Amino acid sequence: MTDTLPDVTPPAPARPAPRRTTSVRGGGGSPLVYLGALVVVALTLGPVVYGVLGGFRSNAQLADSPAGLPDPWLLDNYRRVLTSPTFWRYALNSTVVAGLTTLLVVVFGLMAAYPLARYRFPGREALYSVFLVGLLFPATVAIIPLFILVSRDLQLGNTWWGVALPQAAFGLPMTVVILRPFLVAIPDELEEAALMDGASRIGFFFRVVVPLSAPATITVGVLAFVASWNAYLLPLLLLQGDMKTLPLGVADYSTQYSSDTAGVLAFTTLAMVPALVFFLAVQRRIVSGLQGAVKG
Amino acid sequence: MRTAAEVLFFVSPALALFLLFVVWPIVKAAQFSLYRWRGFGPLSDFVGLQNYSTVLHDEVFRGAFSHNLFIVVGSIVLQLPLGLAVALLLNRRIRGQGLLRTIVFVPYVLAEVIAAVVWLQLLQPEYGAVDSLLSGVGVPVPDQGWLGSPDRALWTVLIVLTWKYLGLAVLLFLAGLQGVPQDVVEAAEIDGASWWQVQRWITVPLLGPTVRIWVFLSMIGSLQCFDMVWVLTGGGPANSTTTMATFLVNEGTKRHNYGIAAAASVILFVVALFFALAYQLLVLRRDTKGAAR
Amino acid sequence: MKRSPIIPALALVAASVGLAACGSDDSTSADGKTVVTWWHNSNNDPGKSYYEQVAQDFEADHPDVDIKVEAMQHEDMLTKLDAAFQSGDAPDVYMERGGGELAEHVDAGLTKDLSESSADIIGKLGGSVAGWQVDDKTYALPFSVGVVGFWYSKSMMAQAGVTTMPTTWDEMDDTIAQVKAAGMEPLSVGAGDKWPAAHYWYYFAVRECSQDVLTDAVTSLDFSDDCFLRAGQDLEHLVGEEPFNKGFLSTGAQDGPSSASGLLATGKVAMELQGHWEPGVMQGLTDDGLGLGDDLGWFPFPTVEGGEGDPTAALGGGDAWAVSEGAPDAAVDFVDYLLSDEVQQGFAERDMGLPTNPAATGSVKDPALAGLIKVRDAAPYVQLYFDTAFGQSVGGAMNDEIALLFADQASPEDIVSATQDAADAEK
Repeated sequence: MTDTLPDVTPPAPARPAPRRTTSVRGGGGSPLVYLGALVVVALTLGPVVYGVLGGFRSNAQLADSPAGLPDPWLLDNYRRVLTSPTFWRYALNSTVVAGLTTLLVVVFGLMAAYPLARYRFPGREALYSVFLVGLLFPATVAIIPLFILVSRDLQLGNTWWGVALPQAAFGLPMTVVILRPFLVAIPDELEEAALMDGASRIGFFFRVVVPLSAPATITVGVLAFVASWNAYLLPLLLLQGDMKTLPLGVADYSTQYSSDTAGVLAFTTLAMVPALVFFLAVQRRIVSGLQGAVKG
Repeated sequence: MRTAAEVLFFVSPALALFLLFVVWPIVKAAQFSLYRWRGFGPLSDFVGLQNYSTVLHDEVFRGAFSHNLFIVVGSIVLQLPLGLAVALLLNRRIRGQGLLRTIVFVPYVLAEVIAAVVWLQLLQPEYGAVDSLLSGVGVPVPDQGWLGSPDRALWTVLIVLTWKYLGLAVLLFLAGLQGVPQDVVEAAEIDGASWWQVQRWITVPLLGPTVRIWVFLSMIGSLQCFDMVWVLTGGGPANSTTTMATFLVNEGTKRHNYGIAAAASVILFVVALFFALAYQLLVLRRDTKGAAR
Repeated sequence: MKRSPIIPALALVAASVGLAACGSDDSTSADGKTVVTWWHNSNNDPGKSYYEQVAQDFEADHPDVDIKVEAMQHEDMLTKLDAAFQSGDAPDVYMERGGGELAEHVDAGLTKDLSESSADIIGKLGGSVAGWQVDDKTYALPFSVGVVGFWYSKSMMAQAGVTTMPTTWDEMDDTIAQVKAAGMEPLSVGAGDKWPAAHYWYYFAVRECSQDVLTDAVTSLDFSDDCFLRAGQDLEHLVGEEPFNKGFLSTGAQDGPSSASGLLATGKVAMELQGHWEPGVMQGLTDDGLGLGDDLGWFPFPTVEGGEGDPTAALGGGDAWAVSEGAPDAAVDFVDYLLSDEVQQGFAERDMGLPTNPAATGSVKDPALAGLIKVRDAAPYVQLYFDTAFGQSVGGAMNDEIALLFADQASPEDIVSATQDAADAEK
């Protein structure tokens, strides 16, 4: 199944009869390109828009014409969610848990990636492989032992840290994989210069590496934040009552008010906004931050 | 020796976290897999490798394994050309490019639970938006609904997964495209190469390493596929969409056969490891020019 | 998932909640009160508010006790209970569904024996505690026991010209044909969740098998009697008539308007086989909060010609409050209070279930539920849902195979052999 991969030649997308009218540099926008773009947008956003607009409709409207537009537009569903204290409480929990997870992943991940990238020591590759193996293991698989560890052995059930710590641990492999090539790429001259100035390797790390790796750090930070914001199974087992995070709230809401599809869609929409805004605001940086990692 | 101390200083926090929350639970899971255990009380009923044999002979698990393979292959076959096409499109200078990029990433950022809740609404048989739109343009819709027909459900799940994860492929490919040296492209254009030719002979080949990394991540992700299937179909109808992960969660949380669930999780891990190592050997090692057959 | 549908396939029991008794046996709160954590699954009104009120009333009488109530969605509650038992951190008061599940908990020493401490209440409840006894000791107090039967929309049945409800399966076949001929879907079934589909097979088995065979099967786990095969054949015949709603293989039991209960509540199907919690569930599935209201009717599972079971026997089950081993004594007092005349009457008045305390059985307002109580109390025996009775492992295998028969991918023989295999693995 992997046999065609090494020299993969993807079929040209929706290829028209080859026209030799050379496009402008970088291939500007022929109508066909815009049409393609439009199709991509429609298919990508369709379900999301359905959810957002559904929040502006009444249940009767949803039942009568599932694929229709709001008519009239109703603000009630959103108002109800935004004025409910539980929504804000869940949002706070989600934010704190995601914040803690991100902090742990970024700080520990950067520290671990540094020697793996710039030191020569026996067992370096073995250590790297240990983290790599973590990529192969979803939290789902070890969920029962993990639950017992957190709630019984560590007494961290129903706390922010109890969710953030394991999430950070499972986020580390990806972080190390992304950061390592980036740190390798820092020119040796910089390090030599720093050492000439009398800085230690540790000093070099804090004074040069940390500021220089900001783009990559932002990338892993955002990825960790989004993963935590969206996590479901682990919080489900570990959090109760007013410690719940938003995805649990979505699941609760969709059964508690199960006849209220419009309300569920409004709640769902509001729950996804923060992660979206956060990710999309820095998406350019993420693309450049990943550059080192995908060089192979 | 200073080096050793420094390495220890930098690595130990991450390693401690990782050993405690990732490695230790895995070791515990391996231990559970050797016992018949109902989930509470002491581990006392040692059964050796019997749980493994039970899992490997289980029709449902075998089905789940083949569904995982289907998702692995299907994801690559669908997302690779689509992802490349979209990434190349986004790499052109067209109006609204920034907005377009933003839009493509949206599904990837959504929580699986949220995406699944919305898709469940869309895919309701008869009353859902998808069926009303399709009926509207004369496409026949299945009586049992897309997620309710055993012969269609897995395809439907694959389509939803593709929708959700295409953004990741595009994200990585765009990152790779940034590494394509602009001067080479310009030189080719001066020599009269068309945009298509530039993509075919320069850009895409240079994306090779990126594509290979993406295939690796996609493959591992597909083998571990859980959340989306769990919410959309729960593995049904008639076990037509089970995956190894849904099998083990079902055996554990629903049937309380924790020993069997643990054995299944170890098998899943071994399968993922095998795929990863094989891929590493056959593909990522550039010197061994790919598998011949 | 409200009214604890005894979701067979699922895990333990169900119950209710508690915020966080995280970790440790911190059974005293900061202000020196004894803390009792209580998990329940009435996460919709009226149940949710009622239980909050009940907890407050108890606290008013017991100023030194602090009841921490948590209402959870049913499936979440099961997941959390499992996890809580594994980590040795179970809530003080929780829900038990009896049968094999309870036996597992008793074996593992998780559940308190209430035989002595709650003797008065147990005496009052009479025979209904049988499902929650292990070796003649009572481990939980049932607060709602109901039976399964066909719920229907009176107006739709009338529209199809069905004037008298079927009492035999031959009549039922005619009824199904009549409803279909009138252009309506006769039955909804949540086969996506498996257990609602499994109820059909269980009930056919209750009709086909004698009480002795059933009782014996629970203890010996032997399914070789011919009647189990016949139950599957009856079911195969029914599935062959195609009476079910479109998309039944992926239809959920009771969450949302497109679930099996939702389809009945919104007038999309004429009938549904479901437990006693159905009216309460349907109220949550319509905008007006009424469900089908007065349009809702009920009739028992029809009889099977030549069946060896008692024609008035019923399939059912219920929910009971249990106390964790190691919970403070106040938890036992609280459970007794939950079964008191006053609390059970309030429970009955809100149509939250079928009360077991004889002092409350007259308080049920909903005529359909009141009718159910009569059927329940008149039945010579109520067979506990098989998946609950046999425990999750055997029950889960059974449910999976029955769901496959609904998809034409398993035969009556397969159901028996899959169940037997799972049972043999238990021995």
